[in-house]
Amino acid sequence: MTVRPLSQSSVPVAERLGAVLQQLSRVVVGKTDPLRVALACLLARGHLLIEDIPGVGKSTLAQALATTLGLNYARIQFTSDLLPADVLGVSIYDENAQAFRFLPGPIFHSVVLADEINRAPPKTQSALLEAMEERQVSMDGQTRKLPDPFFVIATQNPVEQIGTYPLPESQLDRFLLAIELGYPDADAERELLMSGDRRAQLSELPALCDPPTLAQWQRDAAQIHVAPALLDYVQALLAASRGHLAGAKGDPGARRGLSPRAGLMLIAATRAMALIHGRSMALPEDLQAVFAAVAGHRLAGGARSGAVEANALIRAVALP
Amino acid sequence: MNSRPAPFRFFNGTRAVTPRADILAPIQVRWLGALMVAAMLPQAAHLPLGIAALGLALVALRVFLISQRRARYFAALTELPSWALAVFAVVIAFGIRQWYGYLLGREPSVAFLFVLCGIKFLEARARRDGTLLVCLATFLLITPFLSNQSMFAALAAAPALMILGGALDALERSTDSLERQRDWRATLVRTLTLMAQGLPIALLLFVMFPRLTGPLWGLPTDRSARTGLSDTMTPGMFTELTLSDDVAFRVDFEGPTPRPSQRYWRGPVLSRFDGRVWSAANPQLGSVQIPNSGKNITYTVTLEPSGQPWLFALDLPAALPRVDSESGAATPPSIFLGLTRDQQLIARAPILQPLRYTQVSNLRSAYPATSVFEARANLRLPAGNRRSVEFARDLRANVADDAAFINAVLQFYRNEPFVYTLAAPLLEREPVDQFLFESRRGFCEHYASSFVVLLRAAGIPARVVTGYQGGEINPNGGYMIVRQSDAHAWAEALVDGVWRRYDPTAAVAPSRVERGLASALPAGESVPLFARFDGGWLKDLGLAWDAVNHGWRRHVIDFNYDRQRALWHEWSLDLFSPWQVVGGLTFVAGVWGGAVLLWLAIRRRRQERALVLWEDVCRRLSRAGLPRHPYEGPLAFVERAAARWPQFGIALKAIGEAYATLRYGNLAAESRERAALIATLKHAIGALPSPLRLRHAA
Repeated sequence: MTVRPLSQSSVPVAERLGAVLQQLSRVVVGKTDPLRVALACLLARGHLLIEDIPGVGKSTLAQALATTLGLNYARIQFTSDLLPADVLGVSIYDENAQAFRFLPGPIFHSVVLADEINRAPPKTQSALLEAMEERQVSMDGQTRKLPDPFFVIATQNPVEQIGTYPLPESQLDRFLLAIELGYPDADAERELLMSGDRRAQLSELPALCDPPTLAQWQRDAAQIHVAPALLDYVQALLAASRGHLAGAKGDPGARRGLSPRAGLMLIAATRAMALIHGRSMALPEDLQAVFAAVAGHRLAGGARSGAVEANALIRAVALP
Repeated sequence: MNSRPAPFRFFNGTRAVTPRADILAPIQVRWLGALMVAAMLPQAAHLPLGIAALGLALVALRVFLISQRRARYFAALTELPSWALAVFAVVIAFGIRQWYGYLLGREPSVAFLFVLCGIKFLEARARRDGTLLVCLATFLLITPFLSNQSMFAALAAAPALMILGGALDALERSTDSLERQRDWRATLVRTLTLMAQGLPIALLLFVMFPRLTGPLWGLPTDRSARTGLSDTMTPGMFTELTLSDDVAFRVDFEGPTPRPSQRYWRGPVLSRFDGRVWSAANPQLGSVQIPNSGKNITYTVTLEPSGQPWLFALDLPAALPRVDSESGAATPPSIFLGLTRDQQLIARAPILQPLRYTQVSNLRSAYPATSVFEARANLRLPAGNRRSVEFARDLRANVADDAAFINAVLQFYRNEPFVYTLAAPLLEREPVDQFLFESRRGFCEHYASSFVVLLRAAGIPARVVTGYQGGEINPNGGYMIVRQSDAHAWAEALVDGVWRRYDPTAAVAPSRVERGLASALPAGESVPLFARFDGGWLKDLGLAWDAVNHGWRRHVIDFNYDRQRALWHEWSLDLFSPWQVVGGLTFVAGVWGGAVLLWLAIRRRRQERALVLWEDVCRRLSRAGLPRHPYEGPLAFVERAAARWPQFGIALKAIGEAYATLRYGNLAAESRERAALIATLKHAIGALPSPLRLRHAA
C-alpha cells in the first residue's frame, strides 16, 4: 500500500529546514519546540519576542540562528540612556568630503537582537519598532532600506521591572510571536553543564543557508495552502477569544480578544510551521503549535497569563 | 501550562484511585449541586425543617469544597472514610425514626432518602457517582407527587428537569471541553431542544400507553390529620371548619345548577347523643330509594382526600356513585361503595386520594323510612337537659300533631332573640338547655343539635345530618367549589313514616342557606377569604388558579384506564384489538423513524465524503476506548491511536494523512487525486478491526 497524500514539492525545503533545526538544537539544548517556533517566525517574516529571565540562552539562540542561516548579526543592549541614533545610526559631517555621511546603526543587520528592550525609554523603543514595521529607516530626509531578510529578536526580562518601560499592548502587537524559553529539563541541563558554554562553538557553526535561499523559503511559506476548513477553525478561535464560543450567542467585545491582524499573523505563522513540517498545506496541528506564541502576548493582561489563556482557548474550541 | 486543578481528593485512603479522566470536574460538581438543590427544594417543603436543612447543608458543603484550597483546609472533612458516612446514615435513620415515631412509611422513608441523597453527593468524586446522583435526583423529584399531584407540584419540578438536562450534558462531556464551557444558556437551549423533541413521544405514550385498571402500587398511607367532617359532632367543631378555605370537593354539573337552597350535600348522619357530642350509628346498608317524583340531576364530584369514608351527594342520592364512569365501566372493585339506610354514601376505606365519581341525585327533602328500628334508635335521649325536655313536652301538649309541633319549634327559633354567630360561647354543662334559654347565640351545630333534642323529647324520631350547604360557582370553568367553610349541620325528622329535612338554622338566618355564610353572619365577624362576597382581585385570582388546577386534575392526573378507553372509543380505536393498535403504532413509528434516518442519510451524502468517513473512524476509536478530543487535529489523533495500537499504526497513520490531505489540502473538487485518496482512506479503514477487538487488543 503506497500512500502519498502529501505533495512532495516542499520536502527538500523541509529537509534543509530540518538540518537547520538540528544544528540549532545542538547549540540551544533541549529547546526543540521554541526553536521551531522561532524559525517559523523568521520564515513568516515576523519578529520574535522572548520573555524570559537572563541566562536561559536568548542571545545564544539569536546568534546561532543568524550564523546557521548565513545572516549577519548585531546585538543592541538596551539601557535607559540609549538614544534612537544609537539604534538607527547617525549622520556625521565628513570634513574631507565636505558632506554629511551616514553611519548606519546596528539595526542595519539581518538578525538584530534587541536585548532587554524594556530598559530603553519609549522614544528609542518606538524607533526600533517603527523600523521593524516599515523595514526601512527614514533619517535626514532620506529613506534607507533595511536588509532583507530582516529579523528582530527582542527580549524582555519579566522579573526586574523597576525602572523599566514595559512595552504597551499596541507595541507588543508588532511582534509576530512571543515565546518563553524556560529552564532546560534535567537531561539537557546536565549536557549543558558537562560540555561548557556553547558560545565558543558559535563561530565554528557552518552556514546552511544564504539570504536569497531564505527569501525563497519565505516565499514558499507564503504559498502554503490554507483550506476553508482551516479558516473556519481560525475564525472559531478568534470568535472564542472575543468571549463567545461558537454556537452560543454572547456579547462581542466583552473581553479584549484577538484582532483581525492577529488572525492574519496566525495564518502566516501556521503556514511557516507547515513548511517546517514539510507539508504543502496547513493543518490544525500546525496552527496549534504556534497559537500560544501568536495569541499569548496579545491576550495577556487578564487574570491568567496569556499562554495559559491561549491553551485554554485551544482546548475549548472544537475543530470545525 | 495546564491550569486544571489537581483532582479532587476524596477517600483516597480507602478506595482504588480513580483514573484522572473519570474524576468529576468542578463544573460538573456544580451542575450536580444545582440539580440536587432543585430536586430537593420541592420535597423540602413537606419535610421537617431540620431534615430539609440537613440535606441542603450537605449539598452546600460539597459545593463549598469544590475549591481545592478549601478542600485542603478542611482536609478532615474531605477524607471521611465510608464507614463514617454509613454510621452517619444510621444515626440519621434513628433520628427520623424518633421524629416520626416510625420508619417504614412514606414520609419517613422520603425524609431518609432526602438525607441520603445529600450524603451521596458529599462523597461523589467519580463520574459514575455523577450518573448515580442523577438517578437519585430523578427519584427524589418524583417523591413530592406521592403527596401532592397538583399542577403547582408539577411546575415546582420543572426547574429541576431543566437542570437535569444540563447535568447530564455536563457529565457526558470530556473534562477538557468543559474547562471553558461556562455558557449555561447553550446548555439550556440544548436541553429545551431535546425536551421539545421528546414531547411528542411523551404525549403519545401518555395517551396510548395502556393504563392499568388500578394504581401500579397502593400509595402507602400516613397518619395525618385533615380538616373535614367526621363521624362525631363536638361543640365548636363547625366553628373551626368554617374558618378553613380548604376545598372539600368540586362539582361539574351536567345541566343546570340547582338553586342555592337545594344545595344540601349530605354527609355523615349522626343519631347518637350523649348530652354533648353527637356521633354516628353503625352504618347499616340499605337500598337506593327509587323516587316517584322530583327531578334527577347528574353531576361529577372530585372529592379531596378527607381521610373519612363518606362520599358527598346532593339530597337525596338516587343511585350509587359511579367512580370514573365516563366510559360506562363499572366501579372498580377496589372501591367498595354502599348506601346506608339513612342515605349516607360510604366507602369501605377512607378516602386518601382525590376521588372522582359521577352521581345522580333526586332533589327532594323527604323520603320514606325503611325500618321501624330506625324510629326507635332516633328517639333516645340521655339524661340531662331537663329544661329543654320539659319545654318540648309542654309545647307538644299544646299542639295537635307532630307537624304542628315542628312548626311551633321553628317558630320558637324565629321569634325568640336567637343570634346566628360564629362567636358562640362554649357551653359545657347541659349545653342544649344553656343554648335554648340562656345564651341563644350559636351556629348551625347548636341549632341542629337543640332542634333534634326538642323533637326527640316530644317523641318524634329525629337525627342530625352533617354535610355541606351551598357551594360557589367558579366563573372560570363553570364548576362548583364546595369548601370546608360551607360545612353545615341540619336535622331530619320522621313524621308519618317519611324522613323530612328541617334546617333550624334557616329559621334564624335564612340568608345562610340562600346566600352563604358571610351574608348570614353579623358584620365584623371574621370569615375566610373565599367565603366572603367581595374578596376582590385576590379572590378572583384564587378562583382562576383553582380552575386551572381543576382542569389539570381532570385531564392529566385522572387520565386513567377508563378515560383512556373513552378516548380510544372517541377515536374509534377500540374497533381494533390492542395488538392491532400496537402494531399500527409501531408501523407509524417505523415509517417516521425511517423517514428521519433517510433524511439524515441524505444530509450525510451532502457532507464531504472524507468528513463522513473520518467521523466514522472517530466513532469507532471512541467505542474502542479512545475518544478524540474535540480540538484534536487528525494527525495528532492518529498519532495517539497508533501509540495505543502499534500493530495498526500504519493503517491509522494512513487514515490520518489521507483525511488531513482531503480536508486541508489543495485538491480540486472532483479530481482523480481526491478519488484516489478516498479509496486509500476506505482501504485503510477496512484494515482496522472492530471497536470491540480493538478494545481488547490494547
